[in-house]
Amino acid sequence: MTQDFRIDGGLVDRKQTLKFSFNGRDMYGYAGDTLASALLANGQRLVARSFKYHRPRGIFSAGSEEPNALVHLGQGARLEPNTRATVTELFDGLHASSQNHRGSLEHDFMAVNDRLSQFLSAGFYYKTFMWPKSFWEKVYEPVIRASAGLGKLSMQPDPDTYDKGFLHCDILIIGAGPAGLAAALASGHAGARVILADEDFLLGGRLNSDTQSIGEQSGAHWAQDSLAELASMSNVRILRRSTVYGAFDHGIYGILERKTDHLADGGGKPRHVLWRVYSKRAILCAGATERSIAFANNDRPGIMLSGAVRSYANRWGVAAGKKVAVFTNNDSGWQTAADLSAMGISISAVIDTRDIVAPMAISGAALVMGGRIKDTRGRKALDAITLTSGLTVPVDCLAVSGGWSPNVQLTCHQRGRPQWNDAIAAFVPGGELPKGLTVAGAASGQMTLAAALKSGRKTAGQALVDLGFKYTSAPALKASDEAFSVTPFWHVSGSKRAWVDLQNDVTTKDIKQAQREGFQSVEHLKRYTTMGMATDQGKTANVLGLAVMAEATGQSIPQTGTTIFRPPYSPVALGAFGGRAVGNEFRPTRLTPSHKWATECGAVFTETGAWMRAQWFVRAGETHWRESVDREVRDTRASVGICDVSTLGKIDIQGRDAAAFLNKVYANGFARLAVGKVRYGIMLREDGLCYDDGTTARLSETHYVMTTTTANAGLVYQRLEFARQCLWPDMDVHVISVTDGWAQYAVAGPNARKLLQKIVDPEHDIATEAFGFMACGDVTVCGGTAARLFRISFSGELAYEIAVPTRYGDGLIRALMSAGREFDVTAYGVEALSVMRIEKGHPVGSELTGQTTALELGMDRMVSKTKDSIGSALSQRSELQRDDGRRLVGLIPVDTSDTLTAGAHFLDIGAAAKMENDLGWMTSVAHSPTLGHSIGLGFVKLGHIRHGDVIRAWDGVRGTDIKVEITSPHFYDPKGGLQRA
Amino acid sequence: MPEFALAAVSALDGYSQDFDGAVLREVTDLEIVSVAVPIAGQKKLAAKIKSAYGCAVPKPTTTTQSKDGLVRLVSTQADQFLLLFDTATPDGGDKVAAQLNTAGYITDQTDNWAVLRLSGPNSRTALERICPVDLHPDVFALNASARTHMEHLGVLVIRTEADAFLLLSARSSAKSFLHAVVVSVKNVT
Amino acid sequence: MIINHPLLGPRDADEFVHLGDAGLINRPDGLAEGAIEAFHDYLYLRDNPAGLYRELWYHEQGDRSWLVVTRDTTTHEISKVELARDVARSQRRGQ
Repeated sequence: MTQDFRIDGGLVDRKQTLKFSFNGRDMYGYAGDTLASALLANGQRLVARSFKYHRPRGIFSAGSEEPNALVHLGQGARLEPNTRATVTELFDGLHASSQNHRGSLEHDFMAVNDRLSQFLSAGFYYKTFMWPKSFWEKVYEPVIRASAGLGKLSMQPDPDTYDKGFLHCDILIIGAGPAGLAAALASGHAGARVILADEDFLLGGRLNSDTQSIGEQSGAHWAQDSLAELASMSNVRILRRSTVYGAFDHGIYGILERKTDHLADGGGKPRHVLWRVYSKRAILCAGATERSIAFANNDRPGIMLSGAVRSYANRWGVAAGKKVAVFTNNDSGWQTAADLSAMGISISAVIDTRDIVAPMAISGAALVMGGRIKDTRGRKALDAITLTSGLTVPVDCLAVSGGWSPNVQLTCHQRGRPQWNDAIAAFVPGGELPKGLTVAGAASGQMTLAAALKSGRKTAGQALVDLGFKYTSAPALKASDEAFSVTPFWHVSGSKRAWVDLQNDVTTKDIKQAQREGFQSVEHLKRYTTMGMATDQGKTANVLGLAVMAEATGQSIPQTGTTIFRPPYSPVALGAFGGRAVGNEFRPTRLTPSHKWATECGAVFTETGAWMRAQWFVRAGETHWRESVDREVRDTRASVGICDVSTLGKIDIQGRDAAAFLNKVYANGFARLAVGKVRYGIMLREDGLCYDDGTTARLSETHYVMTTTTANAGLVYQRLEFARQCLWPDMDVHVISVTDGWAQYAVAGPNARKLLQKIVDPEHDIATEAFGFMACGDVTVCGGTAARLFRISFSGELAYEIAVPTRYGDGLIRALMSAGREFDVTAYGVEALSVMRIEKGHPVGSELTGQTTALELGMDRMVSKTKDSIGSALSQRSELQRDDGRRLVGLIPVDTSDTLTAGAHFLDIGAAAKMENDLGWMTSVAHSPTLGHSIGLGFVKLGHIRHGDVIRAWDGVRGTDIKVEITSPHFYDPKGGLQRA
Repeated sequence: MPEFALAAVSALDGYSQDFDGAVLREVTDLEIVSVAVPIAGQKKLAAKIKSAYGCAVPKPTTTTQSKDGLVRLVSTQADQFLLLFDTATPDGGDKVAAQLNTAGYITDQTDNWAVLRLSGPNSRTALERICPVDLHPDVFALNASARTHMEHLGVLVIRTEADAFLLLSARSSAKSFLHAVVVSVKNVT
Repeated sequence: MIINHPLLGPRDADEFVHLGDAGLINRPDGLAEGAIEAFHDYLYLRDNPAGLYRELWYHEQGDRSWLVVTRDTTTHEISKVELARDVARSQRRGQ
């Protein structure tokens, strides 16, 4: 195709020809084109099929408000549906194709819907797909899904990357049209930190689309000079291709910056950056959006907004048609006629709905004052229009202006409620605006150039004064002002369909029907007809729809309601919200000090919160995880095993009142813990339920180190801060996390001491007489490296935990394993750790669920009744002290070849599997290599007095029903002799 | 000679990379010691700090430096600050304890942190992608500090020079943190 | 949202975690007569005002301060931010 519709002028760079394709056809455009302007230049008028009726559609607007010209952009995994051609910057090699048709764009089989339109009116889905109910899943939903939506996804992972960022400024200026530029210049000169953001790639707003002048310059030149001046200021940041999509609390705004969409090759950089902007003040200079007039068949390709037709001519040097008519209710339509005429484009007619004297003469054009368009013609694009007078005018482009609506969207993102302004027949910002936000230019209802420039300066001046900047007012810029006068006119009545919302195929009939059926409130109207939904969010449709509803109800527009908006202002790719949080980067990963070593040793890792922990270590010949885990348990219990327990939370606690403080946060007594000793403690929540457990060691009179469970490390730390700052603010106690600072290894098994004696320097006596069960102390290892040694046991064996500064963690695990070779030491992972703790009957997260009590866990005697600690009072309430409640027990299958499952529910023999017979549930299970069969822990009603009873472990999910014997939860060494050895 | 010797390894294996307008290095020789201020002990501790280091206890968001310029004090909490200093031996806590003689509660924090130094004209632009705190030179002055988060990770950021920042983050997640910073630098250079 | 931290200045609410009613500072005496009733009220009874509300925020990704933030629940406007420790101390002195 050739650029048949390209005319002289415009702001495109004719030295840079760009090749692109649409539906496989090669076309050419220029740098500075949008896909829409290039398509128009190439005479491509039909670009899409409409959502519901599959009507032929063309380009309607020249900006982000576009309802029609949505295309598939890109290919393969980069294919992006529903891209607005009007904001897609042309680049060499761009591939676009039309969407929402079966068969070709020209011959869409789904166009049959247009003839079925009587059946597809508002509420069609709600009414049609109701009965029979059984049809929903099998028939209706698949049919609806197949026809729903416009574009299609690539169904491949997004190959692009996205980023986020944070920006700070004194004044954020939203929109770089005349008002925004004036505001930015004033703010920049005053020395404020300014961010000027605009969704376009060429800044200047309507200045680039219109022919007004500022001073001695054209508006477009003035814009470029102003931008150059702003760019030279170090305190001003200009964000092009950047949409301010939302206004959030306290001066925070969201901006989507499109970094590489306009490049043939993004160079591997993030495609979009989602900025969070912290502003002290913001000025909305978002301009106004033109709206249409509803008349019969007003949706054909070639029927466009008047201002868009002007933009294509003035900014892009493109004639939207060769014979153009204008249909308007205001002066701006005449501007279009005048500009096009001056560029040599034939104007056939100007039809003004107002009964006034024609504001100007347009050479060769029929001027019809008080005119109405009755209908239009043209199968794939507009051929002719017919007026109510019967006059038919052959045209290929109709420029329509129904007036301009200020872009108030961002003012509504919190509590703003736009108010009707009769003078401009439009909604202007009203109600409570986001704090710190003011509005200037057309967005505030200042509809002429001089007024926009003036209000931009003035609004910035006020913001500057508020912020304490020195602001000196400058003489007003002289602008050749345009006429702006409008008399509301919304739709030409008639029996044919007249479109209100092009994107959702909502016609005046649908709105009237909604009114008849009781959906009169604006919010109901929207949901019933889908008006104002989807990518354009009704930017060109909402006010028109409201006006038609007002007429139908016989009320004024303000009586009928107002339209408000939520973020985003225009579509934001979900990838941008995700940013970098994709795949492995979804969240940070924490590695243990032995991670590198464990990797070398064949560890299989598991995620525990953010931590990667060794689950088990595969040795040569082991083919099933159970072989590895069973061996690790057996070898540990037989000789010695080593496990990285660095993930446990470690909190350094110091202060004169540290002992008293611990006595407050633990349910059991800590006041009399001796220096050099460790104690197991349980924490309750204030409601009396169990929260967390761990050990705390007293290192000196005023110095303790607490361990928490891995999962609750952060939360326990937070609660300690709460306790010391909010509950006991005068206690001298200080906490600091040392979780990451220490590499800590459990060394467990009958040979644990012998192994450690090879590592701990000989001057430290760790024989049981000197360093008994629950002892702790500073030692040195491997020739002088400071370490801490704790004699505590989770496995039930003679065991220690030894800690060194993390930098030595890798060295220590290697030293321990080397030193242990003579004892056939094994490393064990969290799975073996879990097996041994179940054998030992220690509760963990499966038992400490936040819904269990110390009584249920068999630890009620630990809860001191003689002190006031967190949770102690409410732990004594009657419901938590019930004698007939559940208790933690051990469970053994009667047939020891059975495998127990966690989550199974307990029932008495012969009792039906019903909730009222439920006795409790299995919390943890393991295969015990020590006992040679499956074992479990669980809560059983009155379990403490039912040891020896046989009940059923019924698992409805896995379909098992196993007889189990209730036992003590302590399967292994119940008297604890081994750990004291 | 002991049979087994322990070698120290740094959190990021001494990472060091030059980018266009940015240099990113792991700082491996920095001792980090926290000092908590006892209740009703502010004056005594301030006097000790003054006599030991010749400088004041830092106020929130600031750092101070010892008279000899070898020790940096960083405010981290209402009643807590850090001392940062170079040392070849891992006994920073003991050294500070000897200086302060129980006037403050001391915890050696060195091994809790991974430390990166990001410098160069693009460093601020890179941090813009992950740091919610305003690092503009007029706002985040030389020697200013802030605790914040970057990519979900807690970070202590200190402006040590016109174009240089120290970034401290938890050691266990150091690789994720490094990744976050490297991606930020790559995305803007 | 932005919380104007009394020691650090304005910081993004993202750095904080929210706990709830500032009344949690006024913990009853667990050993006093009627402690169970007092704790029941302390823990479970909350006003749910449309308007000014005093609530606890914790600067987890920051200086670990607990703050008492006075926020209008209908507008999110924050009119006052105090260190919870100061609030707790002054309430104790008032008792």
